[in-house]
Amino acid sequence: MGMILEVKNLTKKYGGLTAVNDMSFEIMRGEFIGLIGPNGAGKTTLFNVISGFEKPNSGSIRFDGMDITGLKPFRIVNLGISRTFQLVRSFRYLTTLDNVSVACLSQRGKEISNIVGINNYASTLLASVGLIDKARLPPVILPHGDLRRLEIAKALGSNPQLLLLDEPFSGLSHEEAEGIISLINKLREEGLTIFITGHVLRELMNLVPRVIAMVQGKFVIDGPPREVANHKLVLEAYLGRGEGFA
Amino acid sequence: MNVIDQVASDLFSVFLFGSVQGAVFSLLALGFSLVYGVGGVMNLAHGGFYLATMYTFYWCIKVWEQTILMSIIITLIVIVIICILTFVLLIKPLQHTEIGILMATFALAFFFEQLVKVLPWSDNQTHWVPNIIKGNPIELFGINFPVRYLWTIIGAIIVVVIIYIFISKAKLGKSIRAVAQDREAAQLMGINANLIIMVTIIISGLLVAFTTFLYGAGEEVYPSMGWGFLIQSFAIVVLGGMGSIPGSVLGAFIIGYSRTFCSYFIGTQFAEIFPIIIIVFMLVFRPQGLLGKKEVE
Amino acid sequence: MLTKIRQLLSIYKKSIKNFFPSLKAGTKNIIKDLPNQLNNVKMRIFTFKSGLTILCLIILILFPIFPETEYYISILMYAMIFAILAASWDFLVGFVGQISFGHAMFFGISGYSGALLIQNLGISWFASIFLGAIVAIFLGLFIATPCLRLKGPYLALGTQAFALILFNLMLSQKELNITQSFTDLDYILQYFILMGFMIISLSIMLIIVKSKLGTIFKSIRDDQICADASGINTTKYKLIAFIISSFFAGIAGGLYMVKISSVSYGNFLPLYSFYAIIMAAIGGLGTITGAAVGSFIFFIIQEIFSELFSASGGQMEAFANYGPVLVFALFLILVIRFADQGIMKPAVERLKELFDLLMGR
Repeated sequence: MGMILEVKNLTKKYGGLTAVNDMSFEIMRGEFIGLIGPNGAGKTTLFNVISGFEKPNSGSIRFDGMDITGLKPFRIVNLGISRTFQLVRSFRYLTTLDNVSVACLSQRGKEISNIVGINNYASTLLASVGLIDKARLPPVILPHGDLRRLEIAKALGSNPQLLLLDEPFSGLSHEEAEGIISLINKLREEGLTIFITGHVLRELMNLVPRVIAMVQGKFVIDGPPREVANHKLVLEAYLGRGEGFA
Repeated sequence: MNVIDQVASDLFSVFLFGSVQGAVFSLLALGFSLVYGVGGVMNLAHGGFYLATMYTFYWCIKVWEQTILMSIIITLIVIVIICILTFVLLIKPLQHTEIGILMATFALAFFFEQLVKVLPWSDNQTHWVPNIIKGNPIELFGINFPVRYLWTIIGAIIVVVIIYIFISKAKLGKSIRAVAQDREAAQLMGINANLIIMVTIIISGLLVAFTTFLYGAGEEVYPSMGWGFLIQSFAIVVLGGMGSIPGSVLGAFIIGYSRTFCSYFIGTQFAEIFPIIIIVFMLVFRPQGLLGKKEVE
Repeated sequence: MLTKIRQLLSIYKKSIKNFFPSLKAGTKNIIKDLPNQLNNVKMRIFTFKSGLTILCLIILILFPIFPETEYYISILMYAMIFAILAASWDFLVGFVGQISFGHAMFFGISGYSGALLIQNLGISWFASIFLGAIVAIFLGLFIATPCLRLKGPYLALGTQAFALILFNLMLSQKELNITQSFTDLDYILQYFILMGFMIISLSIMLIIVKSKLGTIFKSIRDDQICADASGINTTKYKLIAFIISSFFAGIAGGLYMVKISSVSYGNFLPLYSFYAIIMAAIGGLGTITGAAVGSFIFFIIQEIFSELFSASGGQMEAFANYGPVLVFALFLILVIRFADQGIMKPAVERLKELFDLLMGR
């Protein structure tokens, strides 16, 4: 066990807008953490900075003790952090199996696929998210719920220790969301550390034992869901100057 | 003349002739930059448009030597038609495929080049467009300055100022700026974005036509002339910043002076290459140009 | 190191145990499929498409047997050289998504370097082709490095700008006529040597794009950010793609130089960049073989134009010379507008339908 992700005084500005304002928090190995905040709070920016797609203006990120601030995205993936995207991305002209194979061909993924074979590895991952029967189909014809599953399979291809899920429930029906939740729970049993964002509170609050709340780029509170849900600033951000939150 | 006088004289030549080049390039690059800034389309046929106007003007002058007005009118009509057809047939349908537009406009440029070689009244050779602006060269500090160049500079300044005022103040100009900033938002406000883009392309065509009228008479025409001007325009907007009017003008004059400087002090070969080196340098280190805004991916 | 592998294997084994139900079905399917897969490979050799390819190759091979074909063999030789160039372009653009509008520079620099080497070091024509292609690789790396961050139009115009610089530099160079032994060989032998080069080059490119390396390339083409997020070092692979593409463009350039026994600025003509583009686009981007098809179609049409118009003399001669490119420019625009898959794929599919119909299926 131990600390897997340490974010210190992270700040990211775009011209005059401060998207992430002096955020600091720690995540332990094996934890399951939610990141909440209204739209525009800076959650995706935070993910972008952690996964290397953006460089912070100041602050640091340490992963498993190593400073990964400012590293290129592929290097961060090969150190063990994978992410999904808020707007689902896939390789349009590849089969779903090949979509997963790409991640299996990363440096980190090759550590496994060189031993068991790319197709086996990719097929296994595809099977684990329940999409093996769609292996030879192109992603464009898949329904949204399946695309989210595919994204998770792809993220697993590089054998991550920390998985960043960016709004994995958005656009999903209740059943589809349930499917993703059971998938996440399976991954949790593996010991995978999962950091998940969302701005619809209900699903997250019932799912994770610990929540970090962000409003307008700033850190607000870090604690169990019930505590966070009743915090004044969180309520204000979501409801205006409102009362209780069920 | 001693060395200092020679150098001073050469520098003054660079200033004079560089200004002409700067003026010409302003007009050309402006159109190119506008189309990209507003429509998001890099029109690789821009050089081909210049080819079209120059050749049309040249042929018309050969036919109607007395009245330049006919040549001007016909050239304007031709380029406007070309712009409209290019937009309707090529650009609008292909807007969403980047490779498609690049290849289609690239093919269009080649089409113009070959068309000029193949038309029965034309050939593959280099020709000189007759000089329509009569008058003896002006002597400035010992340097012969052709009168037409005076028209080039003055005309270019007037045109650029008109365009600038148009874009800033006129209703249509404001619509153009709106579409350039955010196409969807503009459409939601009732602006017909497609029409605006077509208008922008027509404006770029008109700018090319004015370049022909103000500068082309007295210059060469040859089938492959389009490519050099395309690359120059690209160099200028990369230098000055895509979609920025002041940037394009600034870039145009910088490149105009540098090229002339290279011609006088280093060698004409280098003058051709210099803008391209600029392109490479800027693209690597400052892709948004000197004055442009950073492109959000 | 070994413990790390054991750790990873144990994680993997745990994954299997926990996803047992769907995995059991999945792996069972795959194992059951295995003899089928082997069968598939056998069957692929006898598919319509392969049959068509083999048929075309047989026609090409047997072509010289027919009488009075010597003139046409010359045309086919050029078609084969440009097939390699167009295929190298398709490799870079259709499979990796990096748009180059300056491929002529690799074509030219290879021929020019090869010619210099022949003239000054007296190497054989065979060696000059490969050494020239290696020079093309260096040029490719030199160009690629600043261009790597560029996308779409910037990359296209950036490469075109480089090619134009090179062309301008070459304008002032004298033409080099070299004496080397390729053109001394028997005409038919030249034909088969070029055919060999074409078949081997295209085969290598096909093998690459169908391999896992090809999958990585296609991922960069489809969504570079997603490829980055999957842990792929896109910069490295784009460089590799440039190396491969410029190498084969260089092979084509070396063959061209050796065939015309000279090198000048004419080897660097921007027109050749255009050739690569139209041939690959008309044949179909992302196919490799389509580029070859496009090349042959181009040269056949060029020959038709020549026969139809040049005899009349006068202005018609201009039409004979420049008409093909004119028509192809128009054709390319039409293809991009209406048939962006090129004509090869749809044509093959139509033929297949016809074939099935004839076979009574």
